[in-house]
Amino acid sequence: MQLAEPFEMTQPAISRHLKVLEGARLLTRRVEGTKRPCRLDKKGIKAVEQWLGVLHKALARNYDRLDDVLADLQRTTSKGEPR
Amino acid sequence: MSKMVLKTEGDRYVIVTRRFAASPELVFRAHTEPALIQKWLLGPDGWTMPVCVIEPKPGGRIRYEWKDKNGNGFHLTGEVVELNPFSKIVHVERMHLPDPTPDNHIETRFEADGRGTLMTMRMALPNEQARTMMLATGMEHGMEDSYARLEKLL
Repeated sequence: MQLAEPFEMTQPAISRHLKVLEGARLLTRRVEGTKRPCRLDKKGIKAVEQWLGVLHKALARNYDRLDDVLADLQRTTSKGEPR
Repeated sequence: MSKMVLKTEGDRYVIVTRRFAASPELVFRAHTEPALIQKWLLGPDGWTMPVCVIEPKPGGRIRYEWKDKNGNGFHLTGEVVELNPFSKIVHVERMHLPDPTPDNHIETRFEADGRGTLMTMRMALPNEQARTMMLATGMEHGMEDSYARLEKLL
């Protein structure tokens, strides 16, 4: 309920968003009587950041290599004949 | 020089941008010709791609196989969805680790940018299970890289 207040969204819409976050393990919800307190799951968020870090490293290395491939291609295409 | 930028769009997508000092035609060719792909789409140092199949047409088959120097490896399969020379590639791919990760829908665009090319790649952020599987492979490789660097220092 509290979480829906700042947004121009219905309570069911907010619940659906929270469910997606919960499914991705970025959010945990407890049951306290009629309340459902939410907490951001730092472990889940850290795991996403860690994964993005690994992806960044692998892609950056690939594209650095691609720079060399393109430089070679430019040399051969500007001569007209492939080596 | 041309630094790569990786950012998230919402909580579902990853956007990667990178500039290259070559025409969109050459950058497109380097993404669609197996002999060229095998030279750069390799991840960490020490890996090779002995098998590279890509049929550059809608519905075309994709199969990439990677191996490290110890003979360990994994492969990826996919299909080309849309191909727009020399500006756009849309494809679906899954890694087999060995269980297949969920299909990832990837859109890669190439735009002329001065005398070079601006590449923009948009892919879905894999779910937790897929990330864990990929990380298990990636972390291993990362460690190997670190050991190799350490060896050079000693």
